[in-house]
Amino acid sequence: MISGEVLVAGGAMTVLAVAVAYVLGWANKTFHVEVDPRVEAAVAALPGANCGGCGYVGCSEYAEAVVLKGEQVTKCTVGGASVATALAGLMGVEVGESWPYRAVVHCGATTAQRLQRRDYRGEQSCGAANMISGIQGCTYGCLGLGDCVAACKFGAIHVCDGLATVDYERCTGCGACVRACPRHIITMVPFKAERMLVVKCSNKDTGKDVTSVCTVGCIGCGICARTNKLLQIDSGLAGIDYDQYDPATADFATVLSKCPRESLVWVGKPTPRDLAAVADEKLPDRVEADFKTTVDDAEWRG
Amino acid sequence: MEYLSSIILIAISAALINNFVLYYFVGICPFLGVSRRVDMAFGMGCAVTFVISIAAFLSWVLTAFVLRPGAPLASWVWQRLSPGSEGVADLSILNYLVYIFVIASSVQFVEMYLRKFYPPLYKSFGIYLPLITTNCAILFACLEIMKHVSGVPAAEMWDLGRALALAFFGGVGFTLAIVLMAGMREDLELCDVPRALRGPAIALIVSGILAMAFMGFTGVDRNLAALLR
Repeated sequence: MISGEVLVAGGAMTVLAVAVAYVLGWANKTFHVEVDPRVEAAVAALPGANCGGCGYVGCSEYAEAVVLKGEQVTKCTVGGASVATALAGLMGVEVGESWPYRAVVHCGATTAQRLQRRDYRGEQSCGAANMISGIQGCTYGCLGLGDCVAACKFGAIHVCDGLATVDYERCTGCGACVRACPRHIITMVPFKAERMLVVKCSNKDTGKDVTSVCTVGCIGCGICARTNKLLQIDSGLAGIDYDQYDPATADFATVLSKCPRESLVWVGKPTPRDLAAVADEKLPDRVEADFKTTVDDAEWRG
Repeated sequence: MEYLSSIILIAISAALINNFVLYYFVGICPFLGVSRRVDMAFGMGCAVTFVISIAAFLSWVLTAFVLRPGAPLASWVWQRLSPGSEGVADLSILNYLVYIFVIASSVQFVEMYLRKFYPPLYKSFGIYLPLITTNCAILFACLEIMKHVSGVPAAEMWDLGRALALAFFGGVGFTLAIVLMAGMREDLELCDVPRALRGPAIALIVSGILAMAFMGFTGVDRNLAALLR
């Protein structure tokens, strides 16, 4: 036996549901806004996570920007390549060229070029050495103890003359070294060409302070910024605008000759001319680690 | 005067002392999800304040006239169905169901209305409105109002003004908390946080400390009540 109360409750709910459904249906028709069908299709193609990873507030706003403002289709980090392809198909455009990112060490000083160095006999890792002061004058530059070497799974980074150096034939751009470096001097740079011009210094101090700790570091004189509009000085340090960097048209000959320090350096794969220049130099024999006498890299270094 | 002082007490209590987020810990998902940038946090806070007021209005009306024991509309129908019966009509079992239903549909309606008539406002609220549909802070406000409307003696029953004061200032309190949190998280981006604590972990720790700071407001209401009397 269903009591009257249950009947009233059920009836009330039904009445409410019908009333609300009617109001919403009416509103849907009355307040209907015409939207570009492509926008709707783009919204459907996006994952709908509304994460904001693309820089827009939610997927629908990004979809609108793609369709109406010609925004790049590759910005969805959640959907990745598949969503980019779907959006590109929708818009009838090619998926824009994406550049491989490669690690760049923003320090160009070998041990001999870094001044005010003390003998460090603590734990042979940059993370430990970074916690104490006085190991070397430059508090920004490479410590040369190879945390990045240990982090790299591809053997693409080595410490040469006390300076972490990337082997661009092996670097995959995973970014493990970027996270490992306690001084945050490794960044990922979009390699728009085989060879990229980079600023090989991270020291933000004034010119006088830099010259007292390093013989090659950027002193922030600003001559590069005055010579070439791709470069600018930000808090005492030169930087290159890689968004505007176009390897086909950029001419860095002047700016390279003007830099009074050795902070602007080409990195990447060597050109045939470079290889020819060193072709007759004798390479040292490759020495393989002898695992009978060495335990791991850390002990080897110490 | 007594009415005004009760409104002031409700407002201060909802916004500061019993802050929805930091005292009751409701509405944590937008609190953590949309507190990365101050401007987005402020937008979210405004949208919550707006929707919470509408939801409180609708739920107060429905509770007072339909759902509470002895509500006029329900009693009238009850008398029609079984004339001369003893019991009072009591639909308070439907409270939760009706509130969720009303919040969701009113948000839908508001969204459509804004989209048609106030496109700029829709653009700035846009994404937040659907997110708010399932925000527990709003359901919580409705249930708080229900506690003071349903099943209490007629003399103690909250009127619409008190209900709206609770809801609106609860929303203001939410905005305050989320904007404070966003400000801190913007600075936190620049901090060297231990790897194990990065992301949501440090956000929860920070919000816990923020909540402890808000505990300092405890007891303000008693002195304030004495002051206003």
